[in-house]
Amino acid sequence: MYTILICDDDRDIVSALDIYLTSEGYQTVKAYNGKEAVRAAETHEIHLILMDIMMPELDGIRATAKLREGSNVPIILLTAKSEDTDKILGLNIGADDYITKPFNPLEVIARVKSQLRRYTALGGAEKGTGLITAGPIAMDDSAKVVTVDGEPISLTPIEYNILKLLLSHPGQVFSSAQIYEQVWNDPAYGSENMVAVHIRHLREKIEINPAEPRYLKVVWGLGYKIEKGA
Amino acid sequence: MKKLQSSAAAKACAILLLLISAFGAAMFGVRAVLAFQYVTEESWQSSAGYYDALERRRQELKKGIDLSYQVDELTWQIETGAAGPLAYADLEVFQEQAAQVKEHFARNNTWFRFRVVSSDGTEVLSTNLKEGEALSKVVREVQYYSFEPQAQVENGGPYDDGNGDASSKADGEKGAGAAQGGDVPQDKVWEWLGLPARLVLEYGVPEEVSLSVQDEFYHIWRTWELERTAFHEYLTGFVCMGALALAALIWVLWTSGHKSGEDGIVLTWQEKVFFDVYAAVLAAAGVFLLAAAIWAVEQVYWVHNNVWNLMSEDFEFYAGLGVMGAAGLLTGTAAAGTLLLRTLTVRVKAGVLAKTTLLCRVAAWMARTIHDFVRFLPFTWKVVLGFGVYVVLTFWLTMRGRYDGFFIMIDFFLQLVLLLFLAWWAYGYYRLRRGTKTIAGGDLEYQIDTKRMPYDLRLQAEDLNNISVGLAGAVDEKMKSERFKAELITNVSHDLKTPLTSIINYVNLLKSTGQSDPKAVEYIEVLDRKSQRLKKLTEDLVEASKASTGALSVVREKIGMGQLIDQAMGEWEEKLTDRKLTLVTTLPEGETWVYADGRHLWRVLDNLLSNCAKYAMEGTRVYLDLERGKGQVVLLVKNISREPLNVPAERLMERFVRGEESRSTEGSGLGLSIARSLTELQGGSFDLAVDGDLFKAIVTLPQAT
Repeated sequence: MYTILICDDDRDIVSALDIYLTSEGYQTVKAYNGKEAVRAAETHEIHLILMDIMMPELDGIRATAKLREGSNVPIILLTAKSEDTDKILGLNIGADDYITKPFNPLEVIARVKSQLRRYTALGGAEKGTGLITAGPIAMDDSAKVVTVDGEPISLTPIEYNILKLLLSHPGQVFSSAQIYEQVWNDPAYGSENMVAVHIRHLREKIEINPAEPRYLKVVWGLGYKIEKGA
Repeated sequence: MKKLQSSAAAKACAILLLLISAFGAAMFGVRAVLAFQYVTEESWQSSAGYYDALERRRQELKKGIDLSYQVDELTWQIETGAAGPLAYADLEVFQEQAAQVKEHFARNNTWFRFRVVSSDGTEVLSTNLKEGEALSKVVREVQYYSFEPQAQVENGGPYDDGNGDASSKADGEKGAGAAQGGDVPQDKVWEWLGLPARLVLEYGVPEEVSLSVQDEFYHIWRTWELERTAFHEYLTGFVCMGALALAALIWVLWTSGHKSGEDGIVLTWQEKVFFDVYAAVLAAAGVFLLAAAIWAVEQVYWVHNNVWNLMSEDFEFYAGLGVMGAAGLLTGTAAAGTLLLRTLTVRVKAGVLAKTTLLCRVAAWMARTIHDFVRFLPFTWKVVLGFGVYVVLTFWLTMRGRYDGFFIMIDFFLQLVLLLFLAWWAYGYYRLRRGTKTIAGGDLEYQIDTKRMPYDLRLQAEDLNNISVGLAGAVDEKMKSERFKAELITNVSHDLKTPLTSIINYVNLLKSTGQSDPKAVEYIEVLDRKSQRLKKLTEDLVEASKASTGALSVVREKIGMGQLIDQAMGEWEEKLTDRKLTLVTTLPEGETWVYADGRHLWRVLDNLLSNCAKYAMEGTRVYLDLERGKGQVVLLVKNISREPLNVPAERLMERFVRGEESRSTEGSGLGLSIARSLTELQGGSFDLAVDGDLFKAIVTLPQAT
């Protein structure tokens, strides 16, 4: 039984999130501004925090910074600001993930689950030989098994090979042609356009929101990469 | 001090003092002027009065000699029996007169010393010198007078003819007298009588005279002596009184215009009159008074120089009256001058001198009129008239200059002035041109310096300055409003997002409640769809406003167009296939590189393909062509529209405009607008072409080498 702190100055959003999370079996604590959130985190045992950025008294960014002083509880920022700078600032200050408003409740739950799994179960995952990881993605090459947040996902052999190529070179951008040549072991003669489709499928399996990928990223006009250190 | 300045009593005192001291100064002045002759001359015998007296003495003496000649002649005539019946009576009268003269010239009656000698100097006829006394030793200066005695002059004695005009009778009886003489010429008679025909009168007055003989010369000397000593007193008095008058004048001028109980300068009726008119009246009065005073002084002067006046008992009284009169007239002049100075001072103090001067006003009016005329004359006329005047002037000066070098000089000067004028104009034009260039170069803040510019150029420069100010303001305003608009849209979108989050969430919750009524399920479905559309719309809106105002950061790098199209196909192929659309791509050999921001370029392509998915007719092909050449890369997206495109291509790129008017389909109408803005942000161009149902989007980007 996990306790989740929901913090937003809009009470309707808080109660909506409360309903979703409660129905998923989580306990919730509500707060309506940054100060209340900080106080609630001190008085309750919190396992995850959902926090809005734009709030009166103490905004989400500052509250996050304050919470991070004495806790490594996962924090997911809810933001109406979709500017990249806000996301980067939030992540740098210590937030673990972000969801832009208006959000899909299913995405919120998925991200909450993902963060909780990483926070609790995956804390000390053993790094055996042949285990390639990037963020929540773990690939056991010997068993040909790929897990995301510990949940096994099924991949086609081509998808598996593409993911393996990208995972073993985190941060490196591979163009469609390079991926084709490496995975199919054939020189690419205009037939690499099928790579994009495979990548999209792969993304849909790995990412919570494929339109906003966190790990398998598209570098437009250049290729694809797995985010380094994600 | 202030109180004293505006005190009416002090003012009256000062005016009174001024008049009195001016009068006194005038008195002393007149007297000094009258006495001046006595000071400058070395001797009292240089005075006009002395010469006048001396001349009178001479004439009297000559008359006495004439009389004695006549007596001698008459005596002879009586002796010879040629005399008329009344000769005895005449003789008696003549003898009496001669005796009078003799008495008059007696040594104890006058300081006049004389000697009458024959022209050859041998015979002394008469003298009042003592025996052995030399005339030259006695008198200061010896005068000589050579004359011929004329007995006939006074012919016809008192009893000769008792009635009638004496002079006409004398003329008439001239012949008769000659007849009486028995036709004997007079000089012949005198020859017989032993009287010389030509005499020389030697005369003079001693330098030293004294009280012992009080004749006219004594009076002249006495006056000279007295006035000579008094002159310094007069002068001292004049200077003192004059200083007093000057002080009083300064006081009057200092206090003028101030009035107790009133601040500032108070103008009287005098200041209401035009200054020059008033000054002319006062000056005329002053000049008249001064002329009268000079005339009076002259009169008094001559009165002084007449010894008989000097000897008159009432002389002092009347001379005093004369001096007072002259002094009064001079005081009047001073008063007129004071009035003039006073009003001048008041006007200067109040700063209304030029304003209350008729001449100044007329001159100012004329200057203004000419100035205005020249100023408001149309520029063309100005040039034509100016040139005309110049030509006429040059012509005239040249014509005159043929005979007179002076006009050549003036002509030369005129040319010099013209040269300077043209240089001034040219420099002004140069400044105007430079300023215009700067403003045209984009520096809207620049202001042309209009100091010392020709009037017409200055007008131009000022207009330009106004334009640049207006333009700068307009540009500023536009930038501000654009920024404001973008900010507003962003803020509104943010504010929309929060309630939208609630709507989406609660619609979702509603969905999970498991409604049994199929209608309710359908309604919830509509709500879900519309809220999703609203979400997309707000996102597009923010993006469109950001893109069109350039509030996005653009990181341009080398982008592979083939790769991008591959990725785009990967994203869209399935969705297009779902709508029964076939994607046909035509790419050139090898990778095509462009300089662009990958994320933004993706959005452009994403929007275009999204458009195809939304509006293309099902079962048709969507063409994606890439061409390169001339340093440019052109991406063409072509599709057949499902609905007739009844809007021009340009309109399609405007915000919220869609191919069909009903707006029933999904889409915000912002896609093309965003695509265009993003393309332009990356330095490319975005065009649309509509040919019937064929819709064509053309994205042109600079090729990277």
